Amino acid sequence: MLIFTLRRLNLFFFTMFLLTLLSFSLSFLFPGDQLVNLTGALNASDSVRDTLAATYQQDSNIIVQYFAYLSQVFSGNLGTAMTTKSDIFNEILRLLPATIELSLFAFFLATIVGIPIGFIAAIHHKKPIDNAILAVAMVGYSIPVFWLGLLAILTFSIQLGWLPSGGQMSLLYEIEPRTGFMFYDILVSSNDYKWDAFQNAFAHIILPAAVIAIAPATIFIRLARTAMLTVLETSYIKATRAKGLSFNQIIFRHAVRNSLIKVIQHIGLQFANLVTLAMITEVIFNWPGIGRWLIESIYQRDYTAIQGGLLVLSSFIFVVHIITDYIYAVLNPLARGAKYGSR
Amino acid sequence: MARDKIYLEEEFPSPLVQLWIVFRSTPSIMIGLGAFTFLIVLAIFSPILAPHSSVESNITMALLPPAWDDAGNISYLLGTDDLGRDMLSRLMHGASLTFGLSFVVVLIALAIGVFIGSLSALTKGVKSSFLNHFLDVVLSIPSLLLAIIIVAILGPGLSNTLWAIVMVLIPQFIHITRSAVKEEFAKTYVLAAKLDGASNLRILQHSVMPNIIEKIVNQATFAQSAAILDIAALGFLGLGAPIPLPEWGAMLASGFDLFYIAPWTVYLPGLAILFAVIATNLVGEGLRHAIKQRKDS
Repeated sequence: MLIFTLRRLNLFFFTMFLLTLLSFSLSFLFPGDQLVNLTGALNASDSVRDTLAATYQQDSNIIVQYFAYLSQVFSGNLGTAMTTKSDIFNEILRLLPATIELSLFAFFLATIVGIPIGFIAAIHHKKPIDNAILAVAMVGYSIPVFWLGLLAILTFSIQLGWLPSGGQMSLLYEIEPRTGFMFYDILVSSNDYKWDAFQNAFAHIILPAAVIAIAPATIFIRLARTAMLTVLETSYIKATRAKGLSFNQIIFRHAVRNSLIKVIQHIGLQFANLVTLAMITEVIFNWPGIGRWLIESIYQRDYTAIQGGLLVLSSFIFVVHIITDYIYAVLNPLARGAKYGSR
Repeated sequence: MARDKIYLEEEFPSPLVQLWIVFRSTPSIMIGLGAFTFLIVLAIFSPILAPHSSVESNITMALLPPAWDDAGNISYLLGTDDLGRDMLSRLMHGASLTFGLSFVVVLIALAIGVFIGSLSALTKGVKSSFLNHFLDVVLSIPSLLLAIIIVAILGPGLSNTLWAIVMVLIPQFIHITRSAVKEEFAKTYVLAAKLDGASNLRILQHSVMPNIIEKIVNQATFAQSAAILDIAALGFLGLGAPIPLPEWGAMLASGFDLFYIAPWTVYLPGLAILFAVIATNLVGEGLRHAIKQRKDS
């Protein structure tokens, strides 16, 4: 396990190195002045410019410059946004929780819906139920998420009027932002309408989360189905059957556990996928998250914001990736010697 | 060696032909292949087949519903958009943009990726380990996010989008080729060729390639469905094809404002994307199924 942890740490440092290097080189790749791209100090006075150049060690060679940038990043300075002049790090701290909240909710939906359905399909292998589930899954992961989002708004918000069509919460409720995680903030706030606000925020999150969850859920269906099929063919399942265990006992006590482990293995990659879907969905549903902010920065050619946003978002995805890898290794001793990245 | 399939002549079909024999036995997959071919034909011949031009606007005919509606007009079968442009023609032209370009993008990425992948499979040591770590990092970032990053660097526009998607797809092809070539190189038939004195490149070309081509084609179908969705998504976000172009994602985005008065301007491009992706996925599914069957038999 120690070796596994070390290897993961090694991969983590390598990735962080690559990501920071990429983000540093972005300031050269983007059009315009490199120092301005790095700091966002557009039309700065000469004295400000000189101070910034000194901070980022502009006179030294490129490697020293990179380390100067690195120390700025780790002290929480990602520069200021070119368009709004606000501090990018604070901006991201404010927006990232909304995205994490939405993604986690969607992820939760996708797992609790997708995995059981996948198991059901595997149990009824090669029967009509299995084929129907597979067909639905095929449509589900072929459907473009932005189209699905529009259809969902049209159906559930406009025609049926059940759910709100955008935003994180109705503006009537005034919730003091503490952490940025809306549900947590509501619960710790001391308002009389706490419960109403909670319901309102919940109604707002359902539609975008469901839209995001569709594609990962169908992938979970397929993963769970394949995992279950492999497990059901193993000899230990045959042994339990020979021992005379009932169908339910076989499935719930033996098969489900062993196939869940295989599904968890792929969850990290799916989460990354889900965050991307969340970025697009945020645009459609006006969700005040980092995805919408990033895409707006791209429209406005706000290079400093793009650079900082990408760095934070991809580090976030990679951290989740490593955590799920780690959980998988903890749950499954067989994987600890896995040759991930070493073959 | 047991031979359960008997051919009249002593002739073994090549791996690709064997694959085709299994592939064509599933009806639903042949429907997928049919749809796929239909889209390719449409993508190539859309300028000849389309009844109207994709940009010609006829303002007197604006916002006409599809022909089966009472207010519809038969010369505009699927209705018109807010500038009176024929939806059917725009969708047909869009086939060559969204579907056709995704096909081209995948072909370019395939050529570059397979080339680098097969060469890198022959290297060992630090270079190989570095490449592996690098690929791990790149592959863990979702394709659409990576495409957005690259578009952010290159700036919005259709050709930039295409290059971005090519760059996103290349690592996937490198990865799949690399592991497949490594796997084949460990087999005994390669050893036999080696003992005959064949060079690595010759083995790669004559022995290994025919055996891994199916895996690459399989990856290509994955890549294509991702490419269609990515082109459309970037078009929708306004980072890809500019609005006047009949790219399906961009059409959806321009229909966005007309959503309530003219829902068909949103339904139809979405359905077109869905159709193209499902056709591609069906073909991919069939390939995987056929590869698995051939392995088992």
